[in-house]
Amino acid sequence: MSKDRERARFTRRLTAWVDGEREPKDQTLFVMEQHPPRHVRQSEEEFQRREEDRLRKFFNWYPIAAAVICAVLVAILLTTVMSMPGFGEEDNPINNEVSDRYLEYGAEDTGSENVVTAMIIGYRGFDTLGESCVLFLAVAAVMILLLRDRKNTSELEVRQIERDEAEAMSHEDLILKQVAWVLIPFIFLFAIYVLLNGETSPGGGFSGGTILGAGLILFSAAFGFRRMQVLMNRRRYSAVRTFGLLLYGVLYGLYIFIGANGLPNYLTGMILLIDLAVGLVVACTMYGFYALFSRGEI
Amino acid sequence: MLSDILQNRYAVTAVILFGVGFTNLMLQQNLLRKVIGFNIMDSAIFLLLASLGYIDGGVAPIVGDRGFDPLYINPIPSGLVLTGIVVSVSITAFSLALIQRIYRRYGTIEMRELLERAKKEDD
Repeated sequence: MSKDRERARFTRRLTAWVDGEREPKDQTLFVMEQHPPRHVRQSEEEFQRREEDRLRKFFNWYPIAAAVICAVLVAILLTTVMSMPGFGEEDNPINNEVSDRYLEYGAEDTGSENVVTAMIIGYRGFDTLGESCVLFLAVAAVMILLLRDRKNTSELEVRQIERDEAEAMSHEDLILKQVAWVLIPFIFLFAIYVLLNGETSPGGGFSGGTILGAGLILFSAAFGFRRMQVLMNRRRYSAVRTFGLLLYGVLYGLYIFIGANGLPNYLTGMILLIDLAVGLVVACTMYGFYALFSRGEI
Repeated sequence: MLSDILQNRYAVTAVILFGVGFTNLMLQQNLLRKVIGFNIMDSAIFLLLASLGYIDGGVAPIVGDRGFDPLYINPIPSGLVLTGIVVSVSITAFSLALIQRIYRRYGTIEMRELLERAKKEDD
């Protein structure tokens, strides 16, 4: 009986030893050393004072440090610029075989005489897809921040807006209206011209879209928000914006698919269509920024 | 030294503009002016890129029927500038919207007052 117990105790001690556990020390003699507290607990106002002191010191030192950093940065950049290859020389390292390739085969590969358009829509189309997404997301983010609705607008602000609108309606700006009446058709015409001629002349989706957006902004500023809503309300705006981005994605995907598989390309004006899609996105972005910043609604 | 500066005049101008913009960004207390400084920096970069692509006596890279006869400028930096402008516009719009929201919330866009008010609200 006692042998069994001894063996059980031995096994327990063995497993404890294997597990790395030692027998507990005799700790009755161990007394913890008593340190004085390292920090004296500050009173509330002491803390406040010290914090303000720190903030003031920061504000005193910040301009000096910033000026030093700026001076050092400009000095480094200037010394770098001094050792750059000369301006406008033909054999600069930047004019390498990549640009030669684009210039030589760009028109042949993409069907666009303007090599910049061929590059940004054809060779680097994914980059432009990213740019369109950036614009799309920028409008979405500004919309999140600035769009007025029932929840984030107080009664006072609503009344203020209504008063402003009534005042704007009663005092019609004759010069602006007449000039806009004359100019807007030409601006739209020019925008369409630039959009459609991105392949053969300077222009394309980005510039044409910006001009189109400028025309929309002028229309909105001259004839008021109510009339603008007949042309473009919020649903139509979102639809056009999303349609532009989707059109770009689908067309460029198709373009790559056709090109990579060596299929016959029946759509000769592919670059033109992609440019139009970019133009739609850019125009909507420009107008959206204006509308959101000036009124908070589209 | 002077001939170096004259040779790289656009790059030197770009660096100076960049410095002006960066100083504005760091030293101005007003948030709107910070954004303006940021935009000046953007313009400096665009100037540098556009000047890098230029070749003396070059024409715009619209090939057409002219073949390889005239000297064309480098089209790649032009495309990069286009990308940069798009990003710059988006960033500017987003930061301006943020500033408008900050003004609505705190009633100021001066950095120092803003810090104090935000701190007071924290407590």
